[in-house]
Amino acid sequence: MVQYSSDLDTVFTAVADGTRRGILERLGRREASISELAEQFEMTLTGMKKHVQLLEDAGLVRTQKIGRVRTCMLGTRRLTAEAAWIARYHQMLEAQLDSLGEFLERTKGDQP
Amino acid sequence: MTTATRTGTTMRHTLTTPTDRTIRVERIFDATRDRVWRAYTEPALVAQWWGRGNTLVIEKMEVQRGGHWRYVEHTPDGETHGFEGRYREVTPQDRIVRTFEWDGMPGHTILETVELTDLGDGRTRVVGTSLFFTPEERDGMLHSGMEGGMAQSYEALDRLLAERRDR
Repeated sequence: MVQYSSDLDTVFTAVADGTRRGILERLGRREASISELAEQFEMTLTGMKKHVQLLEDAGLVRTQKIGRVRTCMLGTRRLTAEAAWIARYHQMLEAQLDSLGEFLERTKGDQP
Repeated sequence: MTTATRTGTTMRHTLTTPTDRTIRVERIFDATRDRVWRAYTEPALVAQWWGRGNTLVIEKMEVQRGGHWRYVEHTPDGETHGFEGRYREVTPQDRIVRTFEWDGMPGHTILETVELTDLGDGRTRVVGTSLFFTPEERDGMLHSGMEGGMAQSYEALDRLLAERRDR
């Protein structure tokens, strides 16, 4: 558990992107090869490899090469959906405080 | 930081966030504590910032202990997200504790605490602390609530929180 605490940033980066969240959702249903993912998300193999690498670094995805095909599946982190949710929530919280700051600036002097 | 395995079965889940599922955010605003308090507790004001630019419909907001709240956010690309929970503590000008649940992750309850500090120079410090619970933990809490009433359920939550603070 301890080794997980230091790398929230990696998880956060990994799930901050809509495509990568989509990949996680997709792999949650069934494993897929890189080329299948590339086709489904309409991007190049190189682009998809980068996304998968980021997810793999975060422990959210693992890959296995069988013959010439690299298959992607959900990683050893079992709480993928929860981790994604926590990261999104954190992002929302920070954005809310930014928004509150702007609101307070905007309404300065409006109230007694 | 130690791991969460010290006590109780409910704390044994593998977690992927720092300090096992606690998030802390902090800001200092150039605004009086009263203005910040109102921004958090008056629905008409909350609607102007909580959605971060998205349209926010405040369906319910009973700012008192035990009161319900429910917000629905509408994004420009047509997505709708509902958030809701219950106020657990409301100490005017000082502290709000409430539960938070997103419709998209039912059962994953977050306990949110917002604390305001008057810095004495017209500025206010806001500290937000959020504690995540898994559905298993929440169900455990609900179960204890059914057996012994809400007071005991709150006590159990207090103990859990105290244990986490100690670490």
